[in-house]
Parts: sequence; C-alpha cells; structure tokens
Amino acid sequence: MLAVDDVIFVYAGWPDSYRFSMEAAAGEITAVRGASGAGKSTLLDLVAGFLVPTSGSIRVGGADISALPPERRPVSILFQAETLFEHLSAARNVALGLPGERVGSPRIAAALAEVGLPDIGAQRAATLSGGQKQRVALARTLLRDKPVLLLDEPFSALDDETRAATRGLVQSLTLKHKWATVLVTHHADDISAIADRVYLLENGVLRAA
Amino acid sequence: MALAIAALIATLFWSILSAAAGQPPGTSRADIGYLIYITTLQAALSTVLSLVVGIALAWALNRLRFWGRTFLIGLFASAIVTPGLVVAFGLLSVWGRAGWLSGLSQSLFHVPLDLPIFGLGGVVAAHLILDGAFAARILLARLDAIPQARLKTGQSLALDPWTRFVVIDWPALRGTLPGLAAIIFLLAFTSFPIVLLLGGGPSVQTLEVAIYSAVRLDFDLGLAVKLALIQIAICSAIILATSALAPIVSSLDHPAVPRWRDAGTARVLQWGVLAIATLGFASPLLAVLIDGVSGLGDVLSQRAFWNAVATSLWIGAASAVLALMLALIAAAGRASATSRLARTALGASAYAYLAVPAVALSLGAFLLVRNLGVAPDTAGPIVVVIANALLSLPFAMATLAPPFDAIARGRGKLIRSLDLSGARQFLDIEWPLIARDAGLVLALAFCFSLGDLGVIALFGTQDFVTLPLLMVRAVGAYRTHDAATIAALMLVLTVAAFVALPKLFGRLADAGR
Repeated sequence: MLAVDDVIFVYAGWPDSYRFSMEAAAGEITAVRGASGAGKSTLLDLVAGFLVPTSGSIRVGGADISALPPERRPVSILFQAETLFEHLSAARNVALGLPGERVGSPRIAAALAEVGLPDIGAQRAATLSGGQKQRVALARTLLRDKPVLLLDEPFSALDDETRAATRGLVQSLTLKHKWATVLVTHHADDISAIADRVYLLENGVLRAA
Repeated sequence: MALAIAALIATLFWSILSAAAGQPPGTSRADIGYLIYITTLQAALSTVLSLVVGIALAWALNRLRFWGRTFLIGLFASAIVTPGLVVAFGLLSVWGRAGWLSGLSQSLFHVPLDLPIFGLGGVVAAHLILDGAFAARILLARLDAIPQARLKTGQSLALDPWTRFVVIDWPALRGTLPGLAAIIFLLAFTSFPIVLLLGGGPSVQTLEVAIYSAVRLDFDLGLAVKLALIQIAICSAIILATSALAPIVSSLDHPAVPRWRDAGTARVLQWGVLAIATLGFASPLLAVLIDGVSGLGDVLSQRAFWNAVATSLWIGAASAVLALMLALIAAAGRASATSRLARTALGASAYAYLAVPAVALSLGAFLLVRNLGVAPDTAGPIVVVIANALLSLPFAMATLAPPFDAIARGRGKLIRSLDLSGARQFLDIEWPLIARDAGLVLALAFCFSLGDLGVIALFGTQDFVTLPLLMVRAVGAYRTHDAATIAALMLVLTVAAFVALPKLFGRLADAGR
C-alpha cells in the first residue's frame, strides 16, 4: 500500500542526511521507533507532503505521490496535540474541509458514533478530554476515507487507561477500513500492543527491527 | 526605583494641580467639548482603519514568500520609531498641492490635484501609515507563532483560504486585537507632530496641540492645565480599562513557518494588499529622502543645523541609556520580587507614563521648574533627557520584562542553588540572554527621543534646538527645502539606529558566550 523507496532528505544548512526505505501494508499498523530527534517526524512530514524528498519516491497503491501537495495526498495525519481546532464544536471539526458537509449531517453523526462519541457533536473541542479529542480526530479521518493514516505520537499525552482504549480503537479502525497506518512513537508498550511490523530509526537511517 | 519614579510622577502631577488651583482664568477660549470630540473621532478612525490594514497586511505577508520579504518586514517594523513629523512631511510631498501626484496629474491631464491633505483626512492618513504598519508587524508575529501542527492539520484537510483564515488565523489574532487597539488609540489620541503639521487649524486639533497652543501661543497656563488634566484622565481611563487585556508580544524575531500557499483569488488579493500597503508606507518616506537631497548643501552649511544634530544626538543617547538603566532595574526587580504588590508597583510605575502624554508631561515639568524658580533655559536639557527616557519606559519594559520573567521562572531555582551574587547573575546569566533586547530598547528610546517634538516644544529656545524643532521652525518660515533635508536626515538616523543597535548588541552577546 505505502512504499517509501530510498528517500533521502537533507535539511538546508545541515551536514547530515536522512535515508528512509519502508513499506506499510493495508490493514496493518507499522510502527517506527527511535529516540527523540532521530527523524521520526521528518519521515511523517515527507509522507504527508510537508517536506519534499531530496531524492527517492513515495508511492501509495503504486502511484507516485512525491510531487503532490499535502492537501491532495491520500493521507490523513494525527498529532499528539493541536489535532482539533479548540474553538469549534466537535462536529464542525469533523466537517472541516469537506465541501457541502453540514454539521448536523447523518454521516458526521455516524462517524462520531463509530469512535464511541455519539453525543458530543455540539460540544466545543476545548471542553473535551485528551482521549476524546483523539477520537474526534479519528472520526474526521473516517469521513475522508484516505488509505494511509499517519500517527505522530498520538497517545503520548493520554493516561494509561485512555491510552489503551484509543490504541484499541486505532487497531480496529485500521483493520475495518484497510488503512495502512504508520505509528511513530518512542513508547515500547504502544509498539508491543498494536504494531504488526516495526522499523527502527537510528543515526538517520531507517531499517526493519 | 519604583518609589523614585512614582515620586516624580506625583511631583509633576502636583505641579499641574497646584497650577490649576492658582491660575486666574485665561483670556483664550477653547471649546473643550469639541476638542474631546475631534480628538476621539480621529483616534477612533485611525484605530479602526489601522487594524483593518494591519490584519490585511499581516495576512498577505504571512502567506507570500518573495525576494526582499525580510527587508520589507523590517521596514514595516520601523514604523514604531519613524518620527510622525517625517511621515506627515512625506505625505505632503506625495499628496500635497505641490506634491508628486498633483505634478503627475498636471503633466498628464493639465489639471493639478487638490486633495484634502490638511484636516481630518490627512491626520488619519498619517496615523494609518504609521499605526497600520505597526499593527501589521505585531499581528504577523501572532500568525507566525501559530503551532506548526495546527497548520499541518489544516493543510492536510485542504481548507480553502477563507476557512483557513476563520478557523486558524482569526483565533490567533483576536486575542491581540483589543490590546493593540488600545495602544493605537492612545498613540493617535495623544498625537502631536502629525496634527500640528496636518491638522490645518483649530477645526482639527488634538488635546496635545491645544495644550501646546495654550502655553506657547496664547500664554494661557490655566487652560493648558485644564486640558492636560482632561487628557491624563481620559488616557488613564483607557489604560485602566485595557490593563486586564492580554499583553502584546513585542518580539521582532522571525520564526520558521511551513510553506502553505493560498491559491487563486486569495493569492491575487494578497499581492494587491502588499503592493498598496508598500506603496502607501514607502512612498512618503521615499519622497522625504528624494526631496531631502535637493537641499542638502544649503542645510549642511548652516551652523544651526549642526548644533541641532549635536543636541539631538546627545539627548537621544543620554535618554536611551537612562531608559535602559531604569528598565533593567525595574524588570530585574519585578522578576525577582516575590510579593504580588511589589510586582504590580514596579510594573505600574513604568507604564504610568502611557497615561501622561509628552506635552502633558512636559507641561508638568515646565510648571515645576517655574515654581522652583529655575529658568526653563537652564533646566531644559535635563528635563528633556529625563522626560524622553520616561516616555520610552513603557516600551522598554514591554521588551525587557518578558525575558527577565522567563529567566526567573525557568532557571530561578538553579540560579539560587548556584549561590550567584547579583552582579554575577546579571553578567553571566541574564545579560547574554537579554543583550539583543537591550539593544532594541536602546534603539527604541534613541529613536523616540530623536523624533520627539512634544517635550522639546515647551523647553526649546533659540540656543536649545533639536532636529524636530528645527524642522518645524523651517516649515513655519516656509523654508521647505531645509525642512525636507532635516526630515530626510532624521529618517536615515532613525532607521540606522533601529537596525544597527540590536544587531550590535546581539553580536556583543554572542562574542561574550
């Protein structure tokens, strides 16, 4: 599904380069492990289109997406924080960027119900807990139905119980919707709980663990 | 230090009050109700329009990337220190009856343009140029500070330009707007040189200009005192009402932001806003420089000019050093103070000068030295240095207090555990971290002093003249070429100091690490 083929990236003015090669299959969670500052977020930025590779290619379903801008890539992304716009309602957050989608539409209600939050559509995002925010962001991902889901340390700010529940939700949604999910984390317990395959990022090079 | 500053404020205030009680009713007449109305009207119009322009320009600068962008942002940032007198003169050069536009119309259509540059329109236009650019720089900093993750989320959701502005930009801007509006309103409400030059007579003048006229032209101290008290009361009310609002970020850094261009109509609109704003801001300044070159030889040969340059430079330097020392002591003391009362007192004593505009402050000092039996000629230089330093203090504190607070909050326990003396703490830890900000404070205070007309207007004599006063006298004597050259030199000096001093101090700090 997702293939990162010998992508090399160099930040302007930096002497060191990153080298990434990996594959992520549909319906599976692929974890990328590495210390802080190892380049995990750089990898996600390259796949999401926020950074442009110096060389190499990124393909989804065989199609090269390296030249596409972020908004046209078949990719959804979730961060640890700033996932929702806090001054908007949960439903409005889910509807963002979907032309013609009304806040009270059945599709939005269904998406919120699927992540276990059927009654919070009218609630402002600022009033939601950390776990609820991540679930609303997942509901937004459901409506876009993009084949690749990128998760940038999404469970780091959650307590143990919420963390386990959110991990379980990500796992079940990945399976059900056949997403190729890439989870970037430095928490070993997240990896052992839900990852189907693991890569290790060390000294700027990504390799299978 | 707070006590000394508070005592000085109280003394000046007492001078004004006791003069109010002792003065016989003056012979001049002023419609105070109309004065308040017209001062408020021009300030309100200037505020609303400056915010609209500021938002549009910040939006355009945040989105567009082009060669010279950093220079252009720096140019807009310099609006805070560009003397109002220079901008007003530049506006006349472009929009005036004998200005560029009228000349162009004459040569193209054989019809001169007679634009209403004097009066409310001219005053608001000059404020708009300075305050709109100032607002844009502040608001651009807010847009540049939007968390990258929020931008990335928005971009991956393919938000259109309008939704992006409403959902991402507006929440980042709106918190800053009330405080920014209050500052712009105060700046316009207390505007002196712009209204003096472009007001066009009694129909459009601020309380400041009326105070100046009462003292220097009508010799009616009673009226001046009454107007000063009204001015202080209104400014204090605005400051008290807005003191609860979120503070404004004063940093002029350029944080890295990811690229996310808008497309289509929005992009065309952004280029249009940028072009109009750049023309509007830069053309008066360019006109001042071009016009200034023509009279350079004449002015440089005048002894009075060189005396004014020397006076402006030493007063600017002395005010800047004094303002920096006062701000360093107040900011360091405030950061280390444990009691809430002490923190408030140190902050309030510095910010109190926002409520006492230049002419009112100068009037208080004028009355004080008169009551003490000291000749204004003798006291003039000292009073002008102190008054200019105090007028810069709010901006100096706004720049230095946040880094001192951050050091105390983040490393206070570590510093205490190392048992450093006060001097070692300042030299080894605080100074390297705040040196660039100290340079900015010096530059701001120097530039404010260099462009000040409000304080020198009451203390200036035949022998004690600064560049702004010399320029106003040249305008009054219809020596416009001389005035243009003086304006150009003031502009060059101001921008050079504003750019060079923070860089110099930044390098000194880097070298010391």
